[in-house]
Amino acid sequence: MKKRLAVLLALAMTGTMILSACGGKEDDGKTSDGKVKVRFASWDEAEDVDAQQAMVDKFNAEHDDIEVTLEAYGGEFDTKISAGMGSNDTPDVMYMWNYPAYYQGLEPLDSCIEAEGEDYKSNFYDTLWNYNSLDGDTYGIPIGFTTHALFYNKDIFAEAGIEEPTNDWTWDDVIAASKTITEKCEGKKGFSFQMKPDPYDFEMYLWSNGTAYTDEEGNLEGNLNSDEAKEVFKMFQDMEKDGYAVATEKSGTDEFRSGNTAMYIYGSWSINTLKEDGVNFGVVNIPSFAGKGDSVSILSSSGISMSKDSKNKEAAWEFIKFWTSEEMNKERIGRELPVLHSVVESEGIMDQPEYTAFYTMLEQSADYTPASFIIESWSELSENLSLSFERVFNPSAMEDVSDVLDEAAEQ
Amino acid sequence: MKQKNLMKTATPYLFILPWIIGFLVFTIGPLIFSLIMSFFDWPLTSDPSFVGVGNYIKMFTSDKQFWKSLTISLKYAAIFVPLNMIIALFLAMLITQPVRGVKVFRTIFYIPTVISGVAVSILWGWILNGDYGVLNYLLSLLGIEGPKWLVDPAWALLAVIIASAFGVGSMMLIFYTDIKNIPIDVYEASAIDGANPARQFFSITLPIITPTILFNLITSIISSFQQVTLVMLLTGGGPLKSTYFYGLYTYNNAFKHHKLGYASANAWVMFVIILCLTALVFKSSSAWVFYETEAGGQTKKKKGGKK
Amino acid sequence: MKMSKTSKVIIYILLGLVAVYFLSPFVYMFFTAFKTEAEAIAYPPKLFPAKWLWENFVNAWKAQPFGTYLWNSILVTVGTTVGQILSCSLVAYGFARFNFKGKNILFMVLLSTMMIPWDVTMIPQYMEFKMFGWINTLKPLIIPAWFGSAYYIFLMRQFLMGIPKDFEEAARIDGANAFQIYWKIFMPILKPSLILVGVLNMISVWNDYLGPLIFLQDRSKYTLALGLASFKGVHETQIIPMLCITIIMIIPPIIIFIIAQKYIVEGTSGSIK
Repeated sequence: MKKRLAVLLALAMTGTMILSACGGKEDDGKTSDGKVKVRFASWDEAEDVDAQQAMVDKFNAEHDDIEVTLEAYGGEFDTKISAGMGSNDTPDVMYMWNYPAYYQGLEPLDSCIEAEGEDYKSNFYDTLWNYNSLDGDTYGIPIGFTTHALFYNKDIFAEAGIEEPTNDWTWDDVIAASKTITEKCEGKKGFSFQMKPDPYDFEMYLWSNGTAYTDEEGNLEGNLNSDEAKEVFKMFQDMEKDGYAVATEKSGTDEFRSGNTAMYIYGSWSINTLKEDGVNFGVVNIPSFAGKGDSVSILSSSGISMSKDSKNKEAAWEFIKFWTSEEMNKERIGRELPVLHSVVESEGIMDQPEYTAFYTMLEQSADYTPASFIIESWSELSENLSLSFERVFNPSAMEDVSDVLDEAAEQ
Repeated sequence: MKQKNLMKTATPYLFILPWIIGFLVFTIGPLIFSLIMSFFDWPLTSDPSFVGVGNYIKMFTSDKQFWKSLTISLKYAAIFVPLNMIIALFLAMLITQPVRGVKVFRTIFYIPTVISGVAVSILWGWILNGDYGVLNYLLSLLGIEGPKWLVDPAWALLAVIIASAFGVGSMMLIFYTDIKNIPIDVYEASAIDGANPARQFFSITLPIITPTILFNLITSIISSFQQVTLVMLLTGGGPLKSTYFYGLYTYNNAFKHHKLGYASANAWVMFVIILCLTALVFKSSSAWVFYETEAGGQTKKKKGGKK
Repeated sequence: MKMSKTSKVIIYILLGLVAVYFLSPFVYMFFTAFKTEAEAIAYPPKLFPAKWLWENFVNAWKAQPFGTYLWNSILVTVGTTVGQILSCSLVAYGFARFNFKGKNILFMVLLSTMMIPWDVTMIPQYMEFKMFGWINTLKPLIIPAWFGSAYYIFLMRQFLMGIPKDFEEAARIDGANAFQIYWKIFMPILKPSLILVGVLNMISVWNDYLGPLIFLQDRSKYTLALGLASFKGVHETQIIPMLCITIIMIIPPIIIFIIAQKYIVEGTSGSIK
């Protein structure tokens, strides 16, 4: 008898749960003193959060009727947003870069942008809009970006007695320099690249060599395993085999910081750290492939988006405007590059040698669409590609490039 | 008289009532919900669609990674569980020895368990780095060229096992508590009878602690299958997916690929597997677990079977 | 128990070797916490920092509102430990010392709850707690502990089943009811395992960051463990503050462990008879 009762209880409990999950929220989105509540989620690391909180407080002070709460998710950003979206509890405003994965939960912002007038939109670098839209709808306002560029250690080049890289360098130049440095400088390697690069980033090398992972329809065959693609992979693999380059387990920043490598390609994320460490470094464009025109870089653009289910969209938009203003752009310099023409000018960014290359790369990289925006199941493809990279670059594997790519293209 | 009887039968239920309530409120709802999810294709933000047993069929027939991850987890469990138990038992015996200063060692052995999991993973990631890590540096001082622990598929699983053995302190503590509470006169009596330490261990200690052995065995099996955090932070499932544990596979399906329905199906399959393994262990336990002993060494009444 | 000299030496050697394995990462971590970040990643690695930067610890503590985190951690740890000790012992007692219909089935159900991977029940649980209005409070972290956790119930049940059946015979004859027997007779005997459960729970809750990660949203509710995990960013990890905080976080559990050791051992030898 008791058991039957228990079973009934269980069913009742389950029923309630399911019903409430399908139903809506009762939370009305207002604080106790009538202000409109806006939840804002960011992925910035702990050390930046205090500065962010200060900016949020500033906004709250300037707006009597809105209260923004900052939720700092750090490295677990994806987990939190997934959990939030999966349970219909997404923050009103959040950072965003992986539009293909999340766009279905985001609010298209085109009408809001237009309402702000032409100047608002054109102050942003054009290319960036591509990276924050999908299928013609804009889902995020750019707040920062970085392209990739070639970092080099001036001291090591001096030690090896060779000329520093320039913007006109090709990969042949890099290989030659790496060779000399590895031979002349004890214990140092000329170049480093990631053993398990993010497939999203790596596509830029294919672009520079005139190919891509897929074509516009999403076909891998003929693109991922084209001769040009194989050439790119082979070049890196040979550099590793011949010993001039090291395939790093992580990004390569640590090896560069400690002076163990002379060159590596990365975004502007490490600039502050390198300056703090006192590394004597320079930045130039990514080397081009001989005869294939300017090199191209991938864009990693961060945007700020609004949740489709937000109850306070107007307030959210107010906050988004604030966060994408000139003031905030200036705030973020050193972590990411400003996206507004006006700020770049006023801060003289182009005059600072360590930043110029990134903007040049930005210009050279217009009109390229990453495969992640084209292919629906990108996250799985990305995982498989990552495995293929490993098979080629992992010193214990070093498989034949041609075979690996042909296999990968069959998926 | 009838009332007293009712009270008597109701009593045990009253004792376990807290758990029953908790189970109904906190566990069963989410459990059933996730079971239901496993029959759907459940993307993150758009509407779910019913696929019946489609997820399960896909898992078993067309998803190669499913079998690979399952194999890795089984391999890990097969090595890790007995290894961990033996080490924990060995350590527990070590720290019950009446030597001076053993208390200090006890604390030292337990310290690793107290360090936060995130820090442990990052720390070992450093130490095990193939080119710049401390372990290989020390090995090189001895003239050995250390393998690239986290990069060489042949060594990566071992690296994970080394890092996870770090947490053996909990099991050790449980064994230790049990062993330490065996009345000392049992040993003394047997010593009088002429038993040496090895004999004492196998005939007295081991049988008495079989209930905790059972406990540690089962919890060890369960946690080895659920291993996610350590391997996610240490190897990310690599290199070449050689450490792509089943738990990580499920997690990625849910949070990276946003296939919540499929991930739920993954989880339920794992649940069934663990359930079967545990049931097997329990069934066998009637042969080797002793729940009651008589204190005192003379009457060695060994009662088998569960109560 | 007398021991020969050779046995003693062997034991010390073994203890020493194992201690090296367990201690060395910790020692390395300890010294590295005082270094600059550049020193920390240098190769070949040096053990000792050039200068002992005590301010690393101060900076780490100030980097996030760790004072608040500490308070939250204490609340959750104490709240859950008390809850677990009370509820788990009750339930374990029910399973271990009685025979009732459905006992084995219910026990299997209990065990099976340990086998569910959390990452899939997490979202439904999140939804449920949202329904209760508990998200972004410490409630989802504390309240379930008052209803028992399978792991500790199982553990205590094993201990309880090791006590001879007729143990409470005398008390029952005297007319005590089940609860009195539980409270007055078994609880004192269970003290070592109660403390064991307390210590185990304390440490696992103190370091738990997944629960807080999922159920908490703003920093005023964070626990220490979550604050620690926040030093791990999307691109780079701030290693030095992380090590400093890790070391600070280890201290309370170690102290508690040292104190508890005495009680875990406090013999039951003799009292079983």
